[in-house]
Amino acid sequence: MAKPKVAFYWCASCGGCEEAIVDLAEGVLKVVEAVDIVFWPVALDIKRKDVEAMPDGSIAVTFINGAIRTSEQEEMVHMLRKKSGLVVAFGSCSHIGGIPALANLTDKASIFKKAYSTTVTTVNPEMTYPQESFKVKEGTLTLPKFYDHVYALDEVIDVDYYLPGCTVPTDLILNAVTAILEGKLPPKGTVLSPNKSLCETCPRNDSKPEKLKITKIYRPWEIMIDPEKCFLEQGLICIGPATRTGCNERCISANMPCRGCMGPTDQVTDQGAKFLSAFASLLDVTDEKEIQKIMEQVADPAGTFYRFSLSHSILKGKVK
Amino acid sequence: MANNGFSPKIVGFLCRWCSYQGADLAGTSRIKYPPNLVPIKVMCSGRVDPSFVMKAFEMGADAVCVFG
Repeated sequence: MAKPKVAFYWCASCGGCEEAIVDLAEGVLKVVEAVDIVFWPVALDIKRKDVEAMPDGSIAVTFINGAIRTSEQEEMVHMLRKKSGLVVAFGSCSHIGGIPALANLTDKASIFKKAYSTTVTTVNPEMTYPQESFKVKEGTLTLPKFYDHVYALDEVIDVDYYLPGCTVPTDLILNAVTAILEGKLPPKGTVLSPNKSLCETCPRNDSKPEKLKITKIYRPWEIMIDPEKCFLEQGLICIGPATRTGCNERCISANMPCRGCMGPTDQVTDQGAKFLSAFASLLDVTDEKEIQKIMEQVADPAGTFYRFSLSHSILKGKVK
Repeated sequence: MANNGFSPKIVGFLCRWCSYQGADLAGTSRIKYPPNLVPIKVMCSGRVDPSFVMKAFEMGADAVCVFG
């Protein structure tokens, strides 16, 4: 029997998700033994036209990481959707928008201005900006269209499963691959990680007092962080209460508060609003002015509460 | 409510024990008030989550009130 075909693709991402597959270490051998990798731009020299030539539905499963921000990415994922039986959104960016989706707090014009003109290290007196097409004597050069908005994968194509995390923990990848190979798949649309909040599995949960009382907010570099105590108790913003577990508490073990990369649990639509709700109830003041004074200490609230989930939130971003 | 034809849609989250009873009382006392408010009964105004407010705005509310 022919081995099932698997493809990997990247969109607006940092490359960390490809690293996650490399991080499987010898585990990758088991995967390679069981499947045929037919497309993986970072590692294999297979071109777009080769994928185009594959029959529809011939790829058993395609893992797509990264958010969608250019026309090229949109075309590629539409094509891969047609060629694949299953599509798995791999990593925070394709799951809920991720860091690239924070660009939705601004717009294309401002991003271009910053990147190609006002950054202190940029010298661009002629104001040369990327063009979608440009005529030279050899012909016309083209670049993909850069969208005004960054999308999570399921805002562009139909997605079967989600592997959350920045980047996806290796055990979740192996579990998912095994489930797919054995055909033991959960219902479509499942996020392939336990549906519990991080606090439930947090090693510091036992040290958490009955009632958390926050009177001042610190950023991680401002204090010596106690490696045993609940971060919220120390006045550090930890998105754990509103974040799905399954990450093996990587950040917590490194003495860093949770940033929310695993996204919300199934019951929650808007991770940032949910965290805000949880966080506001921890403030140990009742006077409105005092509440405001504490909340003003939150540097970049939208970027902190929605660090990974802006694209999938109700907030969405700047009104354009 | 004739403000150049603009008639706002207002979503109100009303506490079952105080403000909702107030709204009920207004009804049984036959006090007239404009129909712009869509009251939603909650068991406590503390039940109102920020995402409820955002959802109301997303669905086209011009204003959201929390009574309690």
